Amino acid sequence: MIEVQSVSKYYGSVQALNDLQFQIEEGSCFGLVGPNGAGKSTFMKILVGVLQRFEGDIQVFNKSVKQNQLAVKNFIGYVPQDICLEELLTAKDNLMYFGRLYGLSGEHLRKRIRTVLEQIGLSDKANQKITEFSGGMKRRLNIGCAILHEPSLIVLDEPTVGIDPQSRHAIFTLIQQLKEMGSTVIYSSHYMEEVEQICNSVGFIDKGKLVEHGTMKHVLNKHRSASIFVSADGIGKEELSSYGDTIEKKTGFAVNCDDPLLTMGKMIEQFRQNGINPERLELSQSRLEDIFFYLTGTQLRDNG
Amino acid sequence: MWAITIVELKMKLQDKGIWFWTFILPIIFIIGFITIFSGVNEMEPEQLVTQIVPGYIIMFTFFIMISMVITFIKDRDSGMVARVASTPLPLNRFLIGKWLPFLIIVILQIVVLLLFGVLVYDLPLGDPIALTIISLTLAFLSTSWGMAMSLLVNTENMGIALTQVIALGGAMLGGLWMPLEIMPNSMQLIAKFLPQYWALEGFQSILQDGGHVTDIWLTLLILLGFGMVGCVISFFSYPRFLRQSRS
Repeated sequence: MIEVQSVSKYYGSVQALNDLQFQIEEGSCFGLVGPNGAGKSTFMKILVGVLQRFEGDIQVFNKSVKQNQLAVKNFIGYVPQDICLEELLTAKDNLMYFGRLYGLSGEHLRKRIRTVLEQIGLSDKANQKITEFSGGMKRRLNIGCAILHEPSLIVLDEPTVGIDPQSRHAIFTLIQQLKEMGSTVIYSSHYMEEVEQICNSVGFIDKGKLVEHGTMKHVLNKHRSASIFVSADGIGKEELSSYGDTIEKKTGFAVNCDDPLLTMGKMIEQFRQNGINPERLELSQSRLEDIFFYLTGTQLRDNG
Repeated sequence: MWAITIVELKMKLQDKGIWFWTFILPIIFIIGFITIFSGVNEMEPEQLVTQIVPGYIIMFTFFIMISMVITFIKDRDSGMVARVASTPLPLNRFLIGKWLPFLIIVILQIVVLLLFGVLVYDLPLGDPIALTIISLTLAFLSTSWGMAMSLLVNTENMGIALTQVIALGGAMLGGLWMPLEIMPNSMQLIAKFLPQYWALEGFQSILQDGGHVTDIWLTLLILLGFGMVGCVISFFSYPRFLRQSRS
């Protein structure tokens, strides 16, 4: 189990993390969700031992990251947000490099390199230099370098930023495999649909504070409400607010209400009277992204 | 640690720039200055060679700092430093692993330039043990300063500019370009605070006067002291450097 115990972090006078406290079950896939600058990367850097000055502690499988940092690092595989590969070397050389940093050597290392290259779908590119790789291939190799030493905990910081659908699919498949093999996964993203798809527990982080956490089912059941999605010319947030909490979306408005069918009937009546022809009027269930917005008032992405 | 050293060496072998700075440019300087001064100077040929060859060897060993700054800043800005910090490799091994390839390159540089001096200008080598020890000490000094500079500066440009001040300023004030005896007393005094002066003193003692380790022990001690300053600065600068790393 990973136990986060009152973790706070300041950069000068700016508080990046504010008293984070939560637990992650062994073998689970935990999604850490928040907008850019929320504190996700700071938390991950503390967990993997890159940032060493912070308040509180984290117990990783009963070992403190403060007291037993080297031991903890041995069973963590960290996939940073940036691609950290030596561009002038081949894929195989990069894996060899990271494998040695984790203490692997000889036949065991060579065997692990073959296995990992297969897992990330780059067996046929083993001897190609990184400069010849696409962004998605680099991302996959970035993950490969972190799983060579068969870590019990894999920490992925925004691993799918800027990649093609094929590589995204390959990464999801790989994470699924890691989960099936019993690894604990911490997955940070601001792509909520990814987190909903692959994680079984979730934590919302905003402005350095954990605003909600728990199993995916628990969080969805606790906050999910029915809503009506409306998209129509001549209708604004003000007009819809009388029916319930109204959230502006990219192409329309989501109106949360207790009795959506009855409310929808009233809306149709009003639209008819005012001669409004809605482009879309439909019932919808709030998704993780809506719940995050409801709890924090913060959009995860700039484009909503 | 060896993983870092091997990878760094592999990449340096592919870097044409480092070969130019390390071997070609110093040879051009040595040939050029010996040619110029042998025509106009009253110095004996052997005295000229034992002034210019070690002088330019010392000056150019400091140019390794440019390569070190570029390498470290690149690793810092690409997130590689943070990535390596997440592995179980202890800090001191990371620093040593990064430092060793540059140390090897500088040792190779000194050997090649001394051999060039021997083959082309009949440079006398003196006591091989003393020469080996002072060469290793010089390599340690320039690379430990390179490491300190790499971890201290915020930008590559700042590192390159400061390296030039240290290498060229130190060469001029330390008497590497011309014998200190012809310089004013104040300059001769300033020179004694610079490692370049002591390194040249050591080399000349071995090459010119046939000195042994017992004759240059003070020089070695001073050079080691300057080198240790670089190591201490590196060790204490690393946490800030790590905080600046991306990822």
